[in-house]
Amino acid sequence: MGEVTLYHWEPNANSGKPMLALMEKGVKFDSHYIDMLNFDQHKPEYLAINPQGTIPAMTHRAGSLGSRVLVESTAIMEYVNAEFDGPDLMPGTAQDHWRIRWWMKFMDQWLAPSFSMFGWKFFVGPNALAAHGQDKIEAQIAQIPLPERQLAWRKAVFGLFSEAEMAESGRRISVGIRMLEDELTKREWLASDQYSLADVNGFNLAYAMPLSQPHLANDEVTPNIMRWLRAIYRRPATRECWKLGRTPMASRVAILEQDYIPPRDESEGITSGVR
Amino acid sequence: MAMILYHGEPNGPSLAVLAALGESGLDVECRRIDLLAGERHTLAGVTEPLARDMGVEGEGPVLVAGGEAMTESVFIAQFLDESGSNTLQPKDAYAHWQMLMWCRRITERCAPAAAFLGCKASAQPVLAGMDDGAFAALSATIASEDLRTRWGAVRAGTFPDEQVADSVTKVTDAAKMVEDQLADGRDWLMGDLTIADFETYGWLAGMVDLVPDAFAGKDRVSGWLARVAARPSVQSALALASVPNPQSSWAPGPEINRWG
Repeated sequence: MGEVTLYHWEPNANSGKPMLALMEKGVKFDSHYIDMLNFDQHKPEYLAINPQGTIPAMTHRAGSLGSRVLVESTAIMEYVNAEFDGPDLMPGTAQDHWRIRWWMKFMDQWLAPSFSMFGWKFFVGPNALAAHGQDKIEAQIAQIPLPERQLAWRKAVFGLFSEAEMAESGRRISVGIRMLEDELTKREWLASDQYSLADVNGFNLAYAMPLSQPHLANDEVTPNIMRWLRAIYRRPATRECWKLGRTPMASRVAILEQDYIPPRDESEGITSGVR
Repeated sequence: MAMILYHGEPNGPSLAVLAALGESGLDVECRRIDLLAGERHTLAGVTEPLARDMGVEGEGPVLVAGGEAMTESVFIAQFLDESGSNTLQPKDAYAHWQMLMWCRRITERCAPAAAFLGCKASAQPVLAGMDDGAFAALSATIASEDLRTRWGAVRAGTFPDEQVADSVTKVTDAAKMVEDQLADGRDWLMGDLTIADFETYGWLAGMVDLVPDAFAGKDRVSGWLARVAARPSVQSALALASVPNPQSSWAPGPEINRWG
């Protein structure tokens, strides 16, 4: 076993952040895939490592300093950047650092939960049901110790969000996409003039956006978002990172492999774009 | 680069940033604004308002640097520390991660609860006392729709019992977290004095009167509150108050997590 072990699910959203940060830094790590929809994260062997049962988690055997356990994707990324050699992913001035942190918090707390609600309702939840069946999932949810976590999981897997919740998430997605486009009109990367953790974070949040929100994110309406996603998609670290995925979720996003995609019918939706 | 720190009464995130500024040794002009009059939303000289308009923290302080409005108290404190004496953040990456994780537990769980209870106690009567036209004009200056909704809820006195109970629980959890953290006899939360002390103090100090049971019998918390309050940086910040008890000044804060 190497120095660094990352416990992660698919290379997207929260799991994808430290995966891509480690790849960009060139840090060798043992990849430990946690099948979230098989509820691996609630099994005793994982709870022994991260008692919170959240994904991702990272362990780092730092010589005489002992073994460190780290959780929370954005905080893990900041640790990875500070602890290991490699390209500086917190570049620029102190004000740039502030901007990188500001965008990461905004995405983590305000924007991502809204994307997540849509993702679970239309994509992850139905996929989970198709793969595992309702009875098995119900039984596994019943094993979760905290009642409020059970409720959150039921809501997520079975798409039990109220109309008001979905409408508010939809509003935030629309506002957030406009904010990203405006910011990427000002500079090449999201929060500073060089590639940073904010881009790593943002890509993992937003790469599927042209597929899931084709009316809001496309070459006509958000050319700078498309330019930015394509640039990150093509980075060697991203390619390596996506090899660690096991489901169709992070296979090939055709729309990011071409320089320009002409307007398309919205009804094609997410399934036709991901192969 | 000329910078101006716009802050509310020295409480909550404004107090945390003022204290960090005091520790940084930087000379930054400070201007007190009336948060409950909406002054934060009409600042002069802001050419990049995004972070002021869309920040998660709500009515926190705004540091204007080169026309860019900088928000989120922990990150402003980090910026001031990095620009100044660089003493308020652990140098070791793991200790730094621990400080960040601590601050996130405060900003994501304790802060929404404290702002909710604080607004219920002190901001609600102020906003309810405004006439409709004045409040409508103030609301119109708030860019973020969800922040505007939180202002409206405070004015309307919408404080559901279950959210009050949940907020009391979260404040109580934060006080217990501090008590447990100090169990080994340390003076400061992370060992050395850090941003975590000021961020935590800012949100908790005003809760002693509002949620007394959360602090009852917690001697280590009491001692720590007194130590933070005695810092010259905190004393200087408190001297900027325009009211006798700034710890009872609150304005709409972060939202309570939508996923529960």
